[in-house]
Order: sequence, then C-alpha cells, then structure tokens
Amino acid sequence: MMHQKILSGTPTASTDRDVHLRLDGLTKRYGDSVAVAALDLAVPKGELVALLGPSGCGKTTTLRMIAGLITPSDGRIIVGGSDITASPTYKRDMGLVFQSYALFPHMTVAKNVAFGLEMRSVPKHEIEKRVKEALAMVRLEALSERKPRELSGGQQQRVALARALVIRPSILLLDEPLSNLDAKLRDEMRNEIRDIQQSLGITAVFVTHDQVEALSMCDKVVVMKGGQLEQIGTPVDVYETPATPFVASFVGRTNRLEGMANGDGTVIVGTGGLRVPGRPGGKVEILMRPHRLKLVDANAAPEGSAERFNRLAGTLTRITFVGDLLQYHVDVAGSEVIVEAASDHGRGFWRAGAPVAITWRVEDTMVFGRGA
Amino acid sequence: MTASTTIDAAPAMPRFALGRAGTATALLLPIALINAIGFLLPVLNLLRMSFNEALAGGGIRETFILDNWTGLFGDSFYLELIMNSVSVSLGITFLTLVVSYPIALYLHRSSGRWRTFLTVLVISPLLTSAVVRTYGWIALLADQGPIVKTIAALGITPPRLMFNTTGVVIGLTEILMPYMILSLLAGFGRLDPRVEEAAMTLGAPPSKTFWRVILPLTLPGIALGCLLCFVLAVSSFITPKLLGGGRVFLLATEIYDQAIVTLNWPLAATLSILVLVIFGAALAVYARVLRVIE
Repeated sequence: MMHQKILSGTPTASTDRDVHLRLDGLTKRYGDSVAVAALDLAVPKGELVALLGPSGCGKTTTLRMIAGLITPSDGRIIVGGSDITASPTYKRDMGLVFQSYALFPHMTVAKNVAFGLEMRSVPKHEIEKRVKEALAMVRLEALSERKPRELSGGQQQRVALARALVIRPSILLLDEPLSNLDAKLRDEMRNEIRDIQQSLGITAVFVTHDQVEALSMCDKVVVMKGGQLEQIGTPVDVYETPATPFVASFVGRTNRLEGMANGDGTVIVGTGGLRVPGRPGGKVEILMRPHRLKLVDANAAPEGSAERFNRLAGTLTRITFVGDLLQYHVDVAGSEVIVEAASDHGRGFWRAGAPVAITWRVEDTMVFGRGA
Repeated sequence: MTASTTIDAAPAMPRFALGRAGTATALLLPIALINAIGFLLPVLNLLRMSFNEALAGGGIRETFILDNWTGLFGDSFYLELIMNSVSVSLGITFLTLVVSYPIALYLHRSSGRWRTFLTVLVISPLLTSAVVRTYGWIALLADQGPIVKTIAALGITPPRLMFNTTGVVIGLTEILMPYMILSLLAGFGRLDPRVEEAAMTLGAPPSKTFWRVILPLTLPGIALGCLLCFVLAVSSFITPKLLGGGRVFLLATEIYDQAIVTLNWPLAATLSILVLVIFGAALAVYARVLRVIE
C-alpha cells in the first residue's frame, strides 16, 4: 500500500498502472455525421480533466458515453483496468453533476442526497451519517429538509454535487455545472469544486465551453472541435504552445495575421519582416496574444536586439477602455491587431490616428501553416 | 421599475375603467349566467323533484316527503346499485390508467412528426361517437365474434364477453383511454429526462427509477386522469346500456330506466342527485391527493 502511494505521488505519474480512466478509440456516429471521432484519453487517478470546446464539439457526447447514457458506436471505456463499455449506467458507479442540476423535485435535499445510498442498500444509520457529512461538505446542513425549488441555483448545484459524491463514485463527471450560475457564484463554485475534488482525490472529468474554467480548475485540458481531438495538455501547455490555430484562438484571446514564410527563419507580413526561427517556407498565419504585445512610438529606437523582438508598423485606429485594460486597435497592413495594456486611471498615452509600432518577443510569436 | 410603471400607467386609463375586480366580474358574468340557468337551476329543480311523490302511471304530486330518499337507503337493491356503480367505475378507471400510462409515457418521450402523428392517433377515436364505437365492440365481443372465435380456436372455453360487466368494462376502458392519455400527458410536465438519468447514474435500475422517480413525478397527471375517467365512467350511459344488455345495473342506466321506462321522475331525480354527490366526493378526493403530492 505504502509503496503504491509513493508511486502515485511522484510527478512522473501517467504510467499505465496509474491510469484510472481510459478511452480507447471512443467513437459516436449519428448516421453519417460523427459526433466523436476515435478519441483516446488516459486520465490518471485523482486528476481533474477538462473537455473543452465550442458547442457541438462532442465533449458532452463523450461525457455521456462515459456515464453510459449514450452507447458508443465504437471504442472502449476502461475504468480501473476493467472494460465497462457494455455495462448499464446504474452499474457504473459514477457521480454525474448536470448543468440543469436535475435534482428530484419531489424529494427533500436530504432525500436527494440519500437516494444513491438507498439504491446501494446502505444501512439506515449509515445513510443518515453520510448524508450529513456530504451536506456539511457543501455547507448546506441547515437546508436538509427543504425541497429543491426552495433553493437558489448555487445551492441546488451544491446539492447535486453532494448527491453525486456521497456514493463515493469511482469517477466524478461534471457537465457544464457552472453554466447556469451568475458570474460571481461561478468563481466561488469553481474553487469549491476544485477544493473538494482535491481533498477527496477523486478522478474527475469536467465538460465546459469556458476556457477560464478549464485553465483555472483542471490538471489537464482536452481541447475538442467537431468531434476531433485538437490537443491534450496542461493548462499552461495549451495556452502557451497551442497545437493548432483553433486551440490558440479558442483558449485565450489572439490576434491573427497572414504572411509568407521565406524558409530562412523570416516571415513577411505586409511590408514588415518577422523573425520566426525554424519555419519552413510557405503561407503561414501568425498568432499573438494581445497582452504580450507592446505599443511603441513609430520612430522610437528598437528596444533590445532585432534578434529577440519582432516589430510591425501600423496606425492606431481606436482605443477602448474596458476597466482594468485599455485595448489599442492597430491597423497593420490592413489587418486589425489588438494590443492590451493595464489601464492607468483610464488615461491613455496615445491618440487615435497616431503612427505606431507594435513589438513583442520572438518566442511569443505563434506560427501555423496555412495549407497551399 | 415595475411598480413605478404601474403607477404611471394608472392615470392614463380611461375614466370609465372597471378596475381589476370589475374587469374580472365582467368577464366571468356570461359564463356565470349560463351556468346558473343551464346547470344550477336544473340541479335545484332535480333536488326539489326528489322530494315529490311519484304516483302510479307516471304522475307527480307536488309535496315534500322523504320517501324517495329513505326508500333508496332502505332498499338493498339500490345500495348494491350504488356500490356496484362506484366499484365498476373505479375498476374501469384503474384499468384505463394501466393501459394508457405506457402510451402516454412513450408519447411524452417521442418528438417531431412522429409525436404529432401519434397524438392524432390517440385523439382520433374521439371523432367517432361513443354509440358507434360501442356497436363496434358489440361486433368484436359477440358470441360468434372474432375474439371469442380466436380464444376458442386456441382450445380454451371462451368466457362471455358481452351483456355482462366484462363487456361494459372492456368497452368503457377503450372509450375513456383518449381522455386518460391526454390528462396524463398534461401532467407529465415535471418529468425531466435529466432527472431520470440522474437516478440511473446514482445506481437506480430502470424498475427503481420508475417507482421512485418517474411515477411520483407523474402523480399529478395520474390524479387528473383518474378523476376525469371516474366521473365519465359513473355517468356513462350508452356503453353500459348496450354492452350490459340490461343485465348490468349501474346508476346511469337505472336513472334512464326510472325516468323513461318506469316514469318515476322523483326517484330518477333522487338518483341523479346521488350521482352528483359521488362527483363531489371524487373532487374532494382529488383535491386531497393533489395537496398530498405537493
């Protein structure tokens, strides 16, 4: 036991034996359309994995296949080494939290939480004890005799969480659990879910279309698009080294420019040249994060060496004040580039119409081929 | 916001406006009048009639006697008639519920054109009169009818399916099904497929999901459908008359016989008032059930 514990605690993790949930070529077809295309995924024990993507990307379909609510067309679902692809939902031992909460409207909060334990024929006194513990965990002991309709959305979602966790499921599945909550509550619940997941050490899959939720809560992010896997990585990986232009633009904000690579480590955008080491020739798209760009005077001497900084000339067309940030809209060879800077009491140094240059570090330049 | 809008809007209303209560009264007045003349007055008339004396040969003497009522409760025939009516109607209601529930549940879960088609299919029997449908059942259930013949062909001695309670129950159940299905559907609003899925993920197999989640959530529809079908069953006349063949004694057929055959109007009136009392009791039970569900 001790030995195992040390093993799973090591950062090298992800060896086969630590994998708690494995999806093996998981596929769902509806007639001719493919909702999920041969998805492979390995989730180590105790990790929180986000399935991130726009609506229709197959993330919810994937989650529902894991829960057994949709039958896969192909592929396997393996939990703790055993293939559960064919077993019915009620035998899967998974806790599912729905976007719409899906509490039993005719039962009290305590009865809702007790339901899963009753289905498992847990002795009565133990049910009482565990329901109390679960409600204490989500800080709702005082409301145990209320009906769901007497609770706020946030409270209902916490009941749903307690109901899913009280059965000590092998995997916790969360289907856009925060989408129906208002912004402030969402931040609160995000931390609460993460804390509970970590303290229980439970393996969890979190479906969301909100990149902030995926980046801030999860150990790993799986970005999906049109049923296809785009990238799997840590939040930092996905944000800093996106595998595709889609990932770059979906996770975080980006500016996009089109250019032509010369094959000698430079790319021509409009009239300007950019350094992009190691890029073969051909049409490319250049992506940059708005907050990594810096606005400088058109005539200012370059800051640092041209080896380390890229620079493009343009015209400042508009300044937008968004509270904590100022957004400078710069016209660069006909394309709009947005530069973000911390706002200083709402005062901008620049005036619209001014000739400016934007500059950023070479390593903050993301380049992707544009096909032929 | 809302409050200030209301205050602003009030002076703009015309001077002759009736106000909230006034408008409601004005809107309710026509139906109140129609009900008073078309329903309440005849019922009072019936009530009065039940205290009159029936003379031989169909005559009525205006008086105030309790003979009709004491006769009713003192005669084992009528007590049995009441018990029989209520129990047969309850049985029909239950049977209608059992056969309609799966159909309603399937209809609730279907969608699109298929659902429209099925809904039309469910309602379509209502386009034919109960008389025609009852004659249809007579053809089907007759001693030489297809059902009896089929049973006989299987080597089983066929039971009598017509001119007895069995026939009445079969016919009425089918005739009441559309009402039951529509009532159930109306009450299925709270049934969210996500809630069923939640039950399954929590370890409830389909049977437990049904008993613990689906059935409780559909109770309002069940209560409504049962009330409606019970009331219709107790008051149904044509089907018991035809399919009962004069051998099944129920309240509605007895009222007909007393009023038309025996020409004993005071007794018919007494029985009618009794049916009304049974309806009142059914409504009270329904209200009580709804309160318990909520």
